Amino acid sequence: MIAIVPRLFWVGWKFHLKGLTMSSFFLLVSVIQPLIFATIAYYMYEAGAREGTLLYVALGAGLMGMWSSTLFGSGGAIQWQRWQGTLELLIGAPPPFIFTLLPLTLATASIGLYSIVATLLWGGLLFDVPLSIEHPFLFAVSLPATALALGLLGLVLASTFVLYRQASAFSNLLEYPVWLVSGLLIPISLLPGWVEPISWVLAPTWGVKAVRESALGGEPLFAIGMCLLLSAIYLVIGWFSMANFERLARKQATLSLT
Amino acid sequence: MAVIEADNLRRTYSTTTGVIRRRRLAVEAVRGVSFQVEDGQLFGLLGPNGAGKTTTIKMLITLLLPTEGTARVLGYDVVDDSREVRKRIGYVFGGDRGLYERLPGLDNLKYFAELYGVPPREQKKRIEELLELVGLTGREKERVEGYSRGMRQRLHIARGLLHDPQVVFLDEPTIGVDPVGARELRQTIHTLVESGKTVLLTTHYMFEADALCDRIAVIAKGEIVAEGTPSDLKNRVRDGKVVEIEVYGIADATVQTLREIAGVRAVNVEEREQAQLLVVQTETDVELTHTLLGHLNGSNVGRIAAREPTLEDAYVALVSEA
Amino acid sequence: MTEVASPTSPRTLARVFFLGGLFSYRALFNWITPVMYVTTMLGSPLFQILFFAYLGRFAGLQDDTFFVVGNAIQVSAMAGIYGMTMTIANERQFGTLSPLLATPASRIALFLGRALPVIVNGLVVSAFGFAVGLLLLDFTLEWSAVPPLVVVVVVTVASCTALGMLLGSIGLRARDVFFASNLVYFLMLLVCGVNIPVETLPDWLEAIGRAVPLTHGIEAAREIAAGAPLGEVSDLVWTELGIGVAYAATAFLLFRLFEIEGRRRASLETF
Repeated sequence: MIAIVPRLFWVGWKFHLKGLTMSSFFLLVSVIQPLIFATIAYYMYEAGAREGTLLYVALGAGLMGMWSSTLFGSGGAIQWQRWQGTLELLIGAPPPFIFTLLPLTLATASIGLYSIVATLLWGGLLFDVPLSIEHPFLFAVSLPATALALGLLGLVLASTFVLYRQASAFSNLLEYPVWLVSGLLIPISLLPGWVEPISWVLAPTWGVKAVRESALGGEPLFAIGMCLLLSAIYLVIGWFSMANFERLARKQATLSLT
Repeated sequence: MAVIEADNLRRTYSTTTGVIRRRRLAVEAVRGVSFQVEDGQLFGLLGPNGAGKTTTIKMLITLLLPTEGTARVLGYDVVDDSREVRKRIGYVFGGDRGLYERLPGLDNLKYFAELYGVPPREQKKRIEELLELVGLTGREKERVEGYSRGMRQRLHIARGLLHDPQVVFLDEPTIGVDPVGARELRQTIHTLVESGKTVLLTTHYMFEADALCDRIAVIAKGEIVAEGTPSDLKNRVRDGKVVEIEVYGIADATVQTLREIAGVRAVNVEEREQAQLLVVQTETDVELTHTLLGHLNGSNVGRIAAREPTLEDAYVALVSEA
Repeated sequence: MTEVASPTSPRTLARVFFLGGLFSYRALFNWITPVMYVTTMLGSPLFQILFFAYLGRFAGLQDDTFFVVGNAIQVSAMAGIYGMTMTIANERQFGTLSPLLATPASRIALFLGRALPVIVNGLVVSAFGFAVGLLLLDFTLEWSAVPPLVVVVVVTVASCTALGMLLGSIGLRARDVFFASNLVYFLMLLVCGVNIPVETLPDWLEAIGRAVPLTHGIEAAREIAAGAPLGEVSDLVWTELGIGVAYAATAFLLFRLFEIEGRRRASLETF
């Protein structure tokens, strides 16, 4: 039984990643949207004659894309599974639903890695962004660590959305706030003081720190560690939520779109 | 021990109506359904749309919690031991949905094979066998979004059988499938039972239930109105007559009056192109043709025929009485 | 059988106006409860405005007004685009209205009917956006600026609605209109001067920006917020209106074309 789970995860992750890659919506969210925001940010920096490296912007915009794909992929995926008629099949399968859902949310975060690649290439080609990475190895580690943390946050999102049909409307609402509060393009220090503690519990905050400090120089290890810690916390929350929600969904008959 | 046991299953849905001020409505979709299915049987749940078939089957396959009552599959309770039930059953729903459209059929099967714990070493062989069984060999690498309705249905069946379950639930398996495809599907279902599986099938096609099932339960408006073998059900109408009258334009009130005539069991109105066909089921020993025509004095009447009742009539009578 | 009303009788026009409006209203609000309206229509703009205002501060552009006006107007207009696109793309019943669309008068009535809920919504959203700026950022507004702003918002939302109609008409043919409308949203965020002055963009992007709705509306709104009276921005407002009319005309033309072709090939329903 224990041996089955890693394989289940691997197969599930690959399967959903492939499906998401084929979706024009995710092309929009994980490639086009970050590029547009990166471009807007570049021009704003030019207009304001802001000093500082554009690599900062590229990575920030890339992470914005990663958040969007996680948000819409995980929150939206439950609804999408419903419409597709596959939610019932996933819940009706033997494994606990969390084992079928988690590979899906991890895949939505992994799609976000396309965003980082896209914004780096875009910046390098069109805006002469210098693509030199200070700590390449740590950079390579911080990317999956970020994807893991975001994927697990996606699990928490999904477990909240699994019961409610109108959840996708709320998912729209979480895009900008998280971008703001996580300091992806704007340092948190610019925001009111009470925002900072909120940022500490959000995966993107530590993800962008890990990625940026390994690229631009700094102490990424702490941020990577926080990503892993948050991952564990999200997993626990998701675990408990999932059990409860599955039972409620069976009771209230909201598994399929009737 | 019966393989499937349903004991007084009930299921109420609450919905909301209205836009500004929402009100709650409770709809009782299944009202005390009980039956048993023995090992190796092909059991049919027959009823019109909205009768509660899908709701009943969903309770049995652990996707819905009953509001009251219990059910067991292979001895496991569907509420408390849902995981054990899920491991041992396969279920197939009709319709276009339920597949990952953007990916090939083969990928879909591989994914579900993994979910259902088919040992990795056996997956390839099993998938090949099932593709062969449902007639999709050679089409598995195409994306599901390009599949026809019938192909999707067949892929669903393959998916439902991946882990070789002992009990198979089929919800309206031939709906929307062309006649030739439907015939092949029925043959496949027959093969399943012959190989020792227990199958519970829902349908609203009388002839399908008659042709395939060992036992049938007729369900209407959430309750079972009759149960037995196809022969048992036919015996219910062995006595009785049917008079068919073609009319051009008839009022609902008139139909109601006809229903109330002594000796009339049921009146069903079938729409034909320009006319309606009144199918009147009566007791055996009465001669009601004149009486009926008398009530139809205002309308134009075409052909009149008298015949023996069929299983179809029995079904119609059962579900319209409910 | 009821007699067919004349296509230009006031009764028909009124019916077209209200039916069109009803569909539009339902498309926007059918799936929505008041709670959700508040969160999606008002919550999102709130954070978008804050995001760009802070980004502007970080980039060294100390001008909250620029971002408040740009984003408030953009958000109110975008609802128009989405609403219209969905209404038309989902509109099977539109076929029953098409005989009534024979005359220009009824087409205008239909358009206005559909645009009305969207415009009202746009006014509410932009008012909210300005309120956000007033309360949370360094933005001030004279009372005298409010009536001209209302005019500008109405015109801008209407012309964006026309763009929405165009996208929706294309949606009758193309499969993925959702992708197209989202793409349009992002491009407009870039080129319409919402957060970057149009003049500072490369020439070709500036040209695109000036050819679509929203750009002139935002420019006019900014000048009004800075104290200009309506008269001074009238040419911007007329340009915005003109662009809207052009897009609406194209939309109707396309719609008629597709509809005629669809009737010939019986294909209006099949995708």
